Amino acid sequence: MTDAATSHMPTRRDPVLVWDIWVRLFHWALVVCIATAAVTGFVLGAPWITLHIASGLLAMALVAARIVWGFLGPTHARFRDFLRPPAEILSHLTGGDAGRHLGHNPAGGLMMLGLMAVVELLGIAGLTGLGGVLRTGPLLSLPYGIGEAGLELHEILAILLIVMILAHVAAAIFESRRSRENLVRSMVTGTKERRPGDHPGRNVVSRPRIALTVIALLAGLTVQVWQRDTGVPDGAPVAVLDEVFAEECTACHVAYHPSLLSGSEWQVIMANLDDHFVEDARLDDETNARITEWLVAHDASSAQTRPAHVFANARKDPTGRITETRAWDDLHENVAEETFLRAPIYSKLNCLACHADAETGWFSPFLIEIPKETSK
Amino acid sequence: MKYLLVLPFALLAYPAAAQSTSPADLLAQYSAEAGAEASAERGQALFMANHTGGKPDTPSCTTCHTTDPKATGQARTGKPVEPLAPSSNPERFTDVKFVEKWFGRNCNSVLGRDCTAAEKADVLAWLDSF
Repeated sequence: MTDAATSHMPTRRDPVLVWDIWVRLFHWALVVCIATAAVTGFVLGAPWITLHIASGLLAMALVAARIVWGFLGPTHARFRDFLRPPAEILSHLTGGDAGRHLGHNPAGGLMMLGLMAVVELLGIAGLTGLGGVLRTGPLLSLPYGIGEAGLELHEILAILLIVMILAHVAAAIFESRRSRENLVRSMVTGTKERRPGDHPGRNVVSRPRIALTVIALLAGLTVQVWQRDTGVPDGAPVAVLDEVFAEECTACHVAYHPSLLSGSEWQVIMANLDDHFVEDARLDDETNARITEWLVAHDASSAQTRPAHVFANARKDPTGRITETRAWDDLHENVAEETFLRAPIYSKLNCLACHADAETGWFSPFLIEIPKETSK
Repeated sequence: MKYLLVLPFALLAYPAAAQSTSPADLLAQYSAEAGAEASAERGQALFMANHTGGKPDTPSCTTCHTTDPKATGQARTGKPVEPLAPSSNPERFTDVKFVEKWFGRNCNSVLGRDCTAAEKADVLAWLDSF
């Protein structure tokens, strides 16, 4: 193209603002949140749960704000601009839609709706698991089974979201080549080149003050709901350890909480103290009876915790260790085998080395801290 | 001040703690039961030796207590085991019930049988020599 040609058509190359600053900030902040949530959730595991939840909640908040902006933002931010009827989406995908869309094209618009919906559902499923299984957060009163289902749904939706993001990125690259423009750069600068034959879109004025008010009201409501259901949930494991149990059992090992096993499992263990995990740990009859009675009274059936649900009756035989169960392996898959042997941990049996609340029966993921290696 | 308040109760409680003893009293008791003089050398040999009669994971007292009675050992669960020598750990051999519980368990783990009064006297004589 020569200088003369350019000067003949001065408006053709004019950049036009397509993505306003809030849409762009939303997009890239969401990228950071989802990436953080994905890495902490898929790779780093339990010790990073706080960052995982924070990034997930922020993603939910961003999408909620984006939905508000979809009704009150400028032209191309609005749902009206990019949510098209199925016939139009089909026509676009089959090549029947000739003009270029400055905002999202009909297929892209559908993907936006899908991504937003999956992020919100993913967050709700996560909060369901947090409430029912880990018994904290706004949904801590949910039954354990619902929480478990929530966690499973959370995993499925997370994989679905990754697949959708890959499709979204692939589509952005494909569309950039097809229309000879850098769509990723447009999401940074906000501008696109105006071309003849572009779909004009219906110009609307944004309403930032109303949008901000609605978002602030939503945020306030969320805080209210969040604080409604806090404190100690029903089915908390017994908080005070029997003094004889604590004295006798902690002579050799951490106080394994009674809620970790079923009453019948405790009875077998206490009846075989002469061969207690290859040690002789005999007690006099009176002491043994007292401890057994207390263990059975506060066994797994009395506690609505994750350890109580996954460890009770998980061992094949009474001489087996909790640390040799499938459930234990799954929960510790991110910890290297040699980490358990180094000082000051020494053994997989030493729960307390990393779980500050091990002796309460909770084993909260928020309280995991793997200690730095010390000299023996 | 707190200590002064606790003192009368501690004194009152003393006769009730019938199990309380001292290394010397306990040594005398075990020796009398055995009908023989205790030997620190025999005690050391028993403590240090590898035995075959007990559980395979614990062939010796030193498995958990280490070879130095003044040192802190470590149970196989990662828990520390306080020193055995009364000179390093004044609480050792002051509670008959406690001592009997652990001789009972550990002799069975290491030797596969109860220790005799003579063996207990020998080991105690050695541990008290530090």
